[in-house]
Amino acid sequence: MHIGGDLLIVELGAVMLGLAIVARLARRVGIPALPLYLLVGLALGEGGLVELPASAEFIEAGAEIGVILMLLMLGLEFSPHELVVNVRRSSLAGFVDLVLNAAPGVVAGLLLGFDPIVTVLLGGVTYISSSGIVAKLVADLDRIGNHETSVVLSVLVIEDLAMVLYLPIVSGVLFGDTLVGTIVAVSISLAAVLVILGIAYFLGDRLSAIALSQSSEALLLTLLGVTLLVAGLAGRLNLSTAVGAFVVGVALSGDIVSHARGLLLPLRNLFAAVFFVFFGLQVDTRLLPGVAVAAAVIAAVCVATKMITGWIAGGRAGIGTPGRLRAGAALVAHGEFSIVIAELGIAREHDLGALAAAYVIILTLVGALLYQFSDSLFDAGHRRWRRARRLGSGGASTRT
Amino acid sequence: MRKVTETDLPGVGARFDLRTDAGRSVGVVVHQSGRRDLVVYDERDLDRACESVELSEDEGHTLGEILGGSPVLEHLDDAIHRLEDLVISWITIGANSSLAGMTLAESALRTRTGAGVVALVSDAGSIPIPGGTERLEPGDTAVVVGVPPAVKAATRLLTRPG
Repeated sequence: MHIGGDLLIVELGAVMLGLAIVARLARRVGIPALPLYLLVGLALGEGGLVELPASAEFIEAGAEIGVILMLLMLGLEFSPHELVVNVRRSSLAGFVDLVLNAAPGVVAGLLLGFDPIVTVLLGGVTYISSSGIVAKLVADLDRIGNHETSVVLSVLVIEDLAMVLYLPIVSGVLFGDTLVGTIVAVSISLAAVLVILGIAYFLGDRLSAIALSQSSEALLLTLLGVTLLVAGLAGRLNLSTAVGAFVVGVALSGDIVSHARGLLLPLRNLFAAVFFVFFGLQVDTRLLPGVAVAAAVIAAVCVATKMITGWIAGGRAGIGTPGRLRAGAALVAHGEFSIVIAELGIAREHDLGALAAAYVIILTLVGALLYQFSDSLFDAGHRRWRRARRLGSGGASTRT
Repeated sequence: MRKVTETDLPGVGARFDLRTDAGRSVGVVVHQSGRRDLVVYDERDLDRACESVELSEDEGHTLGEILGGSPVLEHLDDAIHRLEDLVISWITIGANSSLAGMTLAESALRTRTGAGVVALVSDAGSIPIPGGTERLEPGDTAVVVGVPPAVKAATRLLTRPG
């Protein structure tokens, strides 16, 4: 047992060091590190370069905690009140976003001959942008004050809320075997989510006050304990652990939030990285060449549909052309949630894992670059267009 | 007050924007954590923050005071506030006023005009509800309360000779 234990530690150490190198490289180049963690996972997984016999189980458990912490931190960003206000204000932009961006995944699923559930999952994969990556890009590029940022954040909030309804529904569908069983499972899931959200809305303040503690150790353990318990119970009810964790995050409000953020952030970063590695591990890399073309085509379509979404949402908020392009570019990056959704269907359809991995890697890199350089791209395009117009009118004048 | 546009930033806080008459845009992002970002927008692309300076809550307050002038003095400028029938007036005591240098008791301002001095404000500080021995020093400000004709009379006595 001792020898196995040592090997586990060695493997974990090697994996983390590998991730550290990748993170440093990404920072130097100026791209998000998350998709590169996925690459590390691919390299280590089935059909990859090296295998990890001893630490696979640990990484799997770590990945589950990673999802829970990502959603908990996301929930912490919002108060129930803010969510309600946002849905009222940005529901149209959110609707456009949903229709335009779920469609490519659904159509691709049908064309590739996936079964209906996997098709719906692929729609979810292409729909949801990465709140985590987008928020980080906005902060890194100092664009929080930009006018289009409020539009982008509103769209992301709606997406996150859509996830809260979507995850229990697909979990219910995956769980139910007959039609009636499915409907019952889905209804139970949704009812449970609404009940928990209701508790969060009405009792959130009181619960937060009880949980608050002067000792950061006690607070950290309380937070983790409650979140894991709720998430675990939600998982047992086939509600998806992710949704349970999100709701706990939303329910917490007031003084506790900033403390909680500080305490949880390093843990979240660690386990989120583990999650991406784990997903990469599960993907059979031998399937990648087969799905590469499909992934590239879907990615290209989704860059376009997300740009259109940003364009429309920005226009409604009275934002100028460069800002509308930035809004679109900001929404391109996909990440953690696409992978969380794909994870649900990977056992049913192995291609889905490879497809989602390739798709997320492409879109995150393209999205980060587009968002960074959309202004210079716009300027270059604008100059060219003006020159072309000048030449055109000049030619016309010589003819007269 | 100028028109300030407030926009929610879900998960972050709120943004406040102000367009200047010269056509520039400035804004402040107030984070939930109390941090403030002072933002200046690009002249050509009014949606783009070309400069963003992070301020702590304290730094924000200090900057606000400098920009707004002291909020108290700001109010002194517009001199007269109506409170129902009463008028409050902030009167700078003139050097050639016949009352300059007298104590409040000597000036008999209230018996002569019907308006009362509720505060005296000088560089050294302010004296709320001054007693009869306090002096009306030229250059200081007397805060006078009364019905409009009384305040008008007091203003004349405190600013002009005779």
